[in-house]
Amino acid sequence: MTDLSLPGFLALSAALFGIGVFGILTRRNFILLLISIEIAMNAVILNFVYFAAFPAGTSGLSGQSIAVVLVGFAATEVAVGLAIVLALNRLKGTINVARATELKE
Amino acid sequence: MSLEELAFLALALVAIGTATAALLVRELVHTILWIAIFFVDLSAIYFLLSAPFLGVLQLGVYAGAVTILLLFGIMTTRKRIFSREAVTGIGPVPVALAVVTFIFLASALGELPQSTTAVQSYDPTALSQNLFGPNGPWLLLLGLIMLAGVAGAIYLVREGRE
Repeated sequence: MTDLSLPGFLALSAALFGIGVFGILTRRNFILLLISIEIAMNAVILNFVYFAAFPAGTSGLSGQSIAVVLVGFAATEVAVGLAIVLALNRLKGTINVARATELKE
Repeated sequence: MSLEELAFLALALVAIGTATAALLVRELVHTILWIAIFFVDLSAIYFLLSAPFLGVLQLGVYAGAVTILLLFGIMTTRKRIFSREAVTGIGPVPVALAVVTFIFLASALGELPQSTTAVQSYDPTALSQNLFGPNGPWLLLLGLIMLAGVAGAIYLVREGRE
């Protein structure tokens, strides 16, 4: 049986979410943006698994169920994001999001 | 300090280190390598938390599929895949915002119980019964919505679209 404490795990999640936010704010490459979003999303999924492992009530099984669904969602999100990357690359010849300003005004 | 806590500490340091390295290195291919290590490390954390099903799912979906998809995206959008990114100026404002986000999230930690407790493990059978039993129809609906998303992705990249 493994004995662990919850706050350390939550601190790890907070740090990973902070790194994801940092990446979203600084990087201009669409693929790096996708990776930043994945890091932040993984921090969130980790949180669900923590609270399933350290439940307040009798069972935290819903936490793991939600985590399974979120992993599927993240995979779909990457597929759609890469479709946008390919379309952007074909249209503009670059995947720098600072140049994608067609929808301005 | 017990063996489990040491393992968690090592895994957490690797996770933070690889996530930071993935966003800071200039070759995009190296970014993919770092992020692959990050995903495998998170899978190890799931195993540490007695969630083997999620650990295997993380290995298959993230370390396998998502990494290869991102690599594919890099290979199709540049002439030479090892070319370097232009240096992006990392200003103080994004760093400050990220730190503020971390402090905001970490400020709630003091109110939680600090004592170590036993990790609760679940049978994968119970997990699948919870997923597909009472909530089965909703899960199928979710799958349909994701299918629509992927169909939209194919529409975006199809040939002959101006």
